[in-house]
Amino acid sequence: MPSEASSDRRGRQKLDRETVNTLVVFGLSIVLIVCSRFISPALGSWSQVLTVLILASFLIILSFGQGLVILIGGLDLSIPALITLGGVLTTTWVGTSDAGVWYMLPAILAICALVGAVSGIGIVWLKVPPFIMTMATSIVVASVALGYTSGTPRGGSPSALLWLMKAWFLGVPVVIYFTLAFILFGWLLQNFTALGRRLRALGTNRNAALIAGVGVNRLELVPYAVSAACAGFVGMMLVGYSNGATLRMGDSYMLPSIAAVVIGGSSILGGSGTFIGTVGGAILLTTLGTMISAIGLSEGWRTIIEGGIIVGALLVLRGEFLTHIGNRMLTRGK
Amino acid sequence: MSAIAANPAPRRSPFWRAVISGTGIVALIYVLLYALYAFWQPDALSVYTFTDLVNNSTPLALAAAGETLVVISRGFDLSVAGVVSLTNVLMAVYPLDGPGGALVSLLMCCAIGAVVGMINGILVARLGLQTIAATLGTMIVCQGLALVILDAPGGMVADFVTYTLTDTLFGVVPIAGLFLVAAIVLWLAFRRTNTGIGLYAIGADEQSARFSGVAVSGVRITAFVGAGILYGVAGFMLSAQTATGNPTAGTPFLMLTFAAVALGGTPLSGGRGSLVGSILGAGTLMLLQKVLFSGGVSSFYTGIFQGFVLVLAIVFGNTVARLLRKDDAR
Repeated sequence: MPSEASSDRRGRQKLDRETVNTLVVFGLSIVLIVCSRFISPALGSWSQVLTVLILASFLIILSFGQGLVILIGGLDLSIPALITLGGVLTTTWVGTSDAGVWYMLPAILAICALVGAVSGIGIVWLKVPPFIMTMATSIVVASVALGYTSGTPRGGSPSALLWLMKAWFLGVPVVIYFTLAFILFGWLLQNFTALGRRLRALGTNRNAALIAGVGVNRLELVPYAVSAACAGFVGMMLVGYSNGATLRMGDSYMLPSIAAVVIGGSSILGGSGTFIGTVGGAILLTTLGTMISAIGLSEGWRTIIEGGIIVGALLVLRGEFLTHIGNRMLTRGK
Repeated sequence: MSAIAANPAPRRSPFWRAVISGTGIVALIYVLLYALYAFWQPDALSVYTFTDLVNNSTPLALAAAGETLVVISRGFDLSVAGVVSLTNVLMAVYPLDGPGGALVSLLMCCAIGAVVGMINGILVARLGLQTIAATLGTMIVCQGLALVILDAPGGMVADFVTYTLTDTLFGVVPIAGLFLVAAIVLWLAFRRTNTGIGLYAIGADEQSARFSGVAVSGVRITAFVGAGILYGVAGFMLSAQTATGNPTAGTPFLMLTFAAVALGGTPLSGGRGSLVGSILGAGTLMLLQKVLFSGGVSSFYTGIFQGFVLVLAIVFGNTVARLLRKDDAR
């Protein structure tokens, strides 16, 4: 490859790595769905694919926030607590009565974003490492939710959320249209806006971004606030999906949110990754999760497999393994 | 460097240096807090209360001691939560009674910790993963294994372990405290070895350490294995405390160990610090909880309190580290 005297390969190589990784992740998801027919005839059908996509929508929205945090080199461990906060506030403040649903739901999201911004403030100004700060926020929020509901959250889902999660339009659940719109929005935001580029610059090299005139301190709050708001929104979606909130509703989402981002090809060190790749990671993980459930493996095995996948993905991505293969495939034709 | 050489700072006696180090400060906090506790509750000075306190603090203190090894070498080890859960569950599901059984259990816990630490070390030092990412993976896998072995809280830890390890020797010395003393003695010996010095060197500046001939990956792996063994012993002591198994027993450790390390004067940016400070830091955290909640406040305040203490401990640790750096530079 050094013999190739191209003037500037940097842009192309980056594109290759991210594109190749995204294609591999989506390809693996499709292969898994097809192969799952061999495990159980119920899997792999159209309705099963739709179920997987509905379940994946939670993870896609969460991992958008987690992805932005990882893009700037952080890690958000407060996601489960904020899912619970969003869910609990929705059922207790709005509930089935639909009272003021059109301003209450945005207000709840704003509260979640504020909590995320508080984490960001601790990280930026108190210099607490991100994973510790978000862990601290998480336990405070979880404790407040426990104290506020005295253990058992009451109330059901507002009808708007029930509609979002349960209604169908043209043979496809409404939530899937919503998720597609969200993916488009997230992709545009991360790749084609000044905000997205600034975040990427911040994650690549903080000092360079500062010298280039990016207001790094305030900017660093944004991903934490966005991630918290995304988690709060997933809390609302879960309320609509299961018509109620529990204090542990978010627990099973922390690891997958990190795993989806990492599998999607983002560097855990920050500064690289695309949302489309993350979406692929979320779909792949959800497919795998439904397969594991169908086989009848316990929660423990699922956790082990998730951990193994995270480490495996990190190892594969670290060595630029896929880039290497991708570049070789591209150059072979010449 | 040249400025320091030209203007050598007056060398202080080792005693004075120990007092102004993070360890000295946390020791002072501990004594003051204990005095306060004794003032409110006169029975705090009894052997029984002290033993109880040592017993409560030992698992966290050992886990924080292990974490310190990794933090000094500039890294984070999240696998503490997984190893503590896994060893706790094993102790409850496969109890071995009698002194021999306890010894076998202890060795088993150490072996599990060592294996997990070895995997962490290889992932980080040989395969080049970031410490948080690699240990997050091993933590998840260990937690999964714990769930596979025991899917809900239950099981019984062997009676010998439960009774003997929470007892006192000659009616005065808490047996759990002996484990802490052993850890401290091993640490004081270890930090004088080449590997121990290398640990500080790679934490301060990995590149320079490598150029100075420190076997960086070997030292890192040693740090992770040592940490893992200490987590294993922490899980063993926790089982003696709780007498039962819980697949999520290690989760609270994740946060509290970092708080204890920071409180003990080890900056999370590595290169400095002491295992003794972390043990005292863990003791202080447990004592603080005891002082504030001896009245029986509901558990949700405990969580809020822990969150705030965690952040405050880190801010405190950062401040002490900055002050000490200033002191060095002068």
